[in-house]
Amino acid sequence: MFMTNLKIAIVVVLTVAGYTLIANMIPQIESEVPEELALSADASAAELVAAGERIFGGAGGCTACHGLGTRAPNLTRSTDGLGPIGARCGDRVPDQDCKTYLYTSLTDPGSYVVDGYNPIMPDADRTLPEDQIWALVAFLQAQGGVVTVTADDLVGASSAATAASAAPAAAATAPSTRDPRQLLNEFGCLACHQLDGQGTAIGPAFTDVGARLDAAAIRESILDPRVEVSAGYEAFANLMPTDFGERMTAAQLEALVDFLAQQR
Amino acid sequence: MTSGRDALRTAGLVVGAGSLVLAAADPAWAQAAEGIREYGNFPVIGSRAAVWIAAQVHLMFAAFVLGVPMFAVVTEAIGIFGKDARYDRLSKEFTRLLLIAYSATALWGATLTFLLITLYPRFMSHLTGIFETSIWVYVGLFFVESATLYIYYYGWERWKEGRAKIFHWSLGILLNVWGTAVLFIADSWLSYMMSPPAEVTADTAPAQVQFWSAFANATWMPINIHRLIANVVFGGSIVAAYAAYRFLAARSEDERRHYDWMGYVGNFIAIGALIVLPFAGYWLGREIYEYNQAMGITMMGGFMSWLWIIQAFLIGVLFLAGNYYLWVGMGRIPGAERFTPYTKWMLLVLIIGVIVWATPHTMIANREELAAMGGTHHPFLGVLGVMSAKNTAVNLMILTTFLSFLLYRRANKRPAVSWSRQGTIVQGGVLGLAAAVVIFYGIYGYFVTAIVRIGFSVYQVLTVLAAMVVVLAVDLFMLRGAESRGAIRWGRMPPRSQYTLIILAVTFTWLMGLMGFARSGIRQHWHIWEVMRDTSQWAATPALGYAGVVISACVLIFLAIVSFVFWIGGLIEKPALARATSEAVGLSPQPAGD
Amino acid sequence: MTHVNRLRDYLRHPFWLAIALLVAAYIVFEFGVAYLPPLFGVRSAPIPDSVLLQYLITAAVGILIYVSDNEERWKRFKEPVGTLLVDPGLRWLRTALLVLVPLAVGWLTYSQVRPGVAAPVQLRSIHPAPPTSISFRGRTIRLTGLENPLRADGSIEEDYEVGKRVYYGNCLPCHGDLLDGNGHYAHGFNPPPLAFTDNGTIPQLTESFVFWRIAKGGPGLPTEGTPWNSAMPAWEPILTEDEIWAVTIFLYEQTGWTPRTWEHEGEAGAEGGHD
Repeated sequence: MFMTNLKIAIVVVLTVAGYTLIANMIPQIESEVPEELALSADASAAELVAAGERIFGGAGGCTACHGLGTRAPNLTRSTDGLGPIGARCGDRVPDQDCKTYLYTSLTDPGSYVVDGYNPIMPDADRTLPEDQIWALVAFLQAQGGVVTVTADDLVGASSAATAASAAPAAAATAPSTRDPRQLLNEFGCLACHQLDGQGTAIGPAFTDVGARLDAAAIRESILDPRVEVSAGYEAFANLMPTDFGERMTAAQLEALVDFLAQQR
Repeated sequence: MTSGRDALRTAGLVVGAGSLVLAAADPAWAQAAEGIREYGNFPVIGSRAAVWIAAQVHLMFAAFVLGVPMFAVVTEAIGIFGKDARYDRLSKEFTRLLLIAYSATALWGATLTFLLITLYPRFMSHLTGIFETSIWVYVGLFFVESATLYIYYYGWERWKEGRAKIFHWSLGILLNVWGTAVLFIADSWLSYMMSPPAEVTADTAPAQVQFWSAFANATWMPINIHRLIANVVFGGSIVAAYAAYRFLAARSEDERRHYDWMGYVGNFIAIGALIVLPFAGYWLGREIYEYNQAMGITMMGGFMSWLWIIQAFLIGVLFLAGNYYLWVGMGRIPGAERFTPYTKWMLLVLIIGVIVWATPHTMIANREELAAMGGTHHPFLGVLGVMSAKNTAVNLMILTTFLSFLLYRRANKRPAVSWSRQGTIVQGGVLGLAAAVVIFYGIYGYFVTAIVRIGFSVYQVLTVLAAMVVVLAVDLFMLRGAESRGAIRWGRMPPRSQYTLIILAVTFTWLMGLMGFARSGIRQHWHIWEVMRDTSQWAATPALGYAGVVISACVLIFLAIVSFVFWIGGLIEKPALARATSEAVGLSPQPAGD
Repeated sequence: MTHVNRLRDYLRHPFWLAIALLVAAYIVFEFGVAYLPPLFGVRSAPIPDSVLLQYLITAAVGILIYVSDNEERWKRFKEPVGTLLVDPGLRWLRTALLVLVPLAVGWLTYSQVRPGVAAPVQLRSIHPAPPTSISFRGRTIRLTGLENPLRADGSIEEDYEVGKRVYYGNCLPCHGDLLDGNGHYAHGFNPPPLAFTDNGTIPQLTESFVFWRIAKGGPGLPTEGTPWNSAMPAWEPILTEDEIWAVTIFLYEQTGWTPRTWEHEGEAGAEGGHD
């Protein structure tokens, strides 16, 4: 009887052990908790720095260049006797405090390229939300300097960001349509030009533009408005934006040109 | 109650306002700020493992307690309407096991509840805020269910004859009604955690959640059905293991005879119900995908994907052990020798099936092997790693297992009907055709898109089901009034067959733990999917190795307690039972098994 | 002749048959799988050790079932084992086994725990679970249930042309001009670039999933299933939302696959496992 019980126990334990072994032989993956980086309105400086450090080493992808090789300046260590970035940021540009300098360098890296380096850094505001950029600034300030980023920057950032978020996003992402009438609205053409009774008469009307200009001339006027200015409108020539070439896709531009050339 | 609600609302707002700074990093923050206790801590193993073990062991007992009445009632009905006292005895013995397991279920249920309240107070206050009414009903049902169970068991001898017996039987049905209601209510809580209705967000206070939409959520019914069937499978296998244990411990030939038969019936119930279980599982998986694709992919292709390789191992063990038990059992059936030459071919089909079924698509390999294969997919065996091959393999395995049962049934019978030869040919033809259809769709599946291929798996399954129904129908008519080639020599079973039953039970239990981990683990770091985050230090979903250790612990705890309560039960009933079985089994030469 | 007969007698004995079957299984798995298919022009490779072990265990269990499912066969199978344990004439073999078996176990243990320099095994799930929503250039896009917006406006041909230009401008070097993952640079990468022509890739996925993979690339893969070393760049800073959707259309139109649709169109999603 005892032997039977023992045998059963052994069979049970061996079976269970076998399954446990199989479960442990396969590759082990733990599903970790994704880190929340939503920063609150009352985040302390220490919290901002901690969050910034994680972005710096993680989602921000900063360490791919900064601190690795010679593609970008090392930010966390002193390489040229000026101290790490927190110590030297205030002296980089005259009349600009450290905070503004760092923020501008992140959102518009082309502005201040350090001598000897190539302008290869992508804009941080294309991949990171506003508050995380501020966290990064805080972290960078903490590298040998004083953290002056406060929660107020974040609040300002987030409310400004929510108010303006539609606008930069729209600017960055061109409207998807190729319907010329919609494009006229999207790019604000009717703010100055008239078509079918709509719009204002600041610039030449579109109603008969096809009769006055051929397609090539229309295209040129959109891309580079200063070259040929219609008679009588010289005073307003500088009002027309010059960046449509960047903001429109080629298909949109051609659709618009075709459409306008047909307005006779 | 009002102040409680307010507190809950505050808690909900605190959580929902998204004001958690780096919540995952610092769980102590929120509770420090608001003074609300969010999490307790369990020493050594941690809160997650504590609740996990309590829930899993409770569920195992609950599955047993809910599964057994289902077939106890059926067995009793066979006893009543088939006028076979043996089945009535068996049914009573099932119920006796039930009675003893019942208190263990309640004990572990209470343990789970107290652990949840102490370790996860914030989560529990959310849940109780929504489900308070159903929790009261749940508790009420327990009273009614226990009362019914006691009357059912202790009234067995009293209401034995005629109309009283029918009344007694209807008590058994009532017991199932209560049990199912209890199951459905409990399922609503956990399925709400997986698939809360779309209108519930992190900002919704529990009091604002519509009770019925939370109760009858997207995965509620699929889980109900899946669990109902799984409970029968589980109950059957535990009963079979109990019988195996009693067989091995038996001192008399009579006892051996009885427990050999009981083990056979239990195993028959388990394997029979197992065959339909994948359909319920398929439905559940579908609903999970439909509810949230991310959750579905996590389950099937994401970090859980290796779980299915382990599941494939376990299913392979189930198929092999189930068939092995039948084949060994043929040794005690006169006339079975004429089928034994076929078993090796069925075994071959099963082994190839298991090999295909468990072939991983992404293989574990070192650098040289990877270089030789040109990636983690084997250039030749890769074709076995996809669903087409696996569905084909498992359907053929089901057909083979069915054939084993068929031969087992047929073994000691000589059909009396004149068309027995043609009937056998038809049966063979239907099975062969079904196999051909399954293989055809399996191969064709490689040439069509995913959407079409998923449809194929339904055709394969329907083919197999239809074939089984047709063949079984022919079989029932063909063996009507069949001559016996000699009674089954119950009790003449080698011990290794009984160990097989025990391995089957252990495997079923382990599989249940594994699937429990899968179902609950796909929520990942959410208490309630995309409504309430787990911000405790135990929020991560562990790797399978750790899960395997916890599952094994649950299985061992469960089996230890179950053997203890069964041993106690055996002590009480032994003398009476031995007498009864010697009467019942000794006097009935008619073989069972149909 | 007598040798052949003796061999046949041996093979009739379940014990020696079992041994022979196990050896045969090993030969088939180790060499057959690797070298037979190439004879018929099918590419193959040796089975990795982990899978070989799994197959051999399955075969061994099958053989064990075979020898023990019949009482008489089981008895005969056990005979040689019993003889080995008690036969006085086999004392030398017993002694040899007594030495060899512990040595083998010891060697196995040693080889398991011996420190090596092999890279850890890598597990890579091709289709990891997508997030419910992503932030694309500061805008939140909810992926669940998301359809390709360009399909709604009915100008698939135009979108296809846009997508084509995007593809040939950006994706070609790795994914190849046949979309078969065989571009000029493809051989430099492990994991290799995805072959869109494979029916295990984009036809299994919704367009929103493809959008997510293009936008976030290798760096955006979830931590589960690490280590990741996908060389796919994140295209979010380079391509616009519309360009990504357009190239998605191009991928499907060009390969002839149809994207997986969301559930309300009546198909199940419970596939794609074992990956």
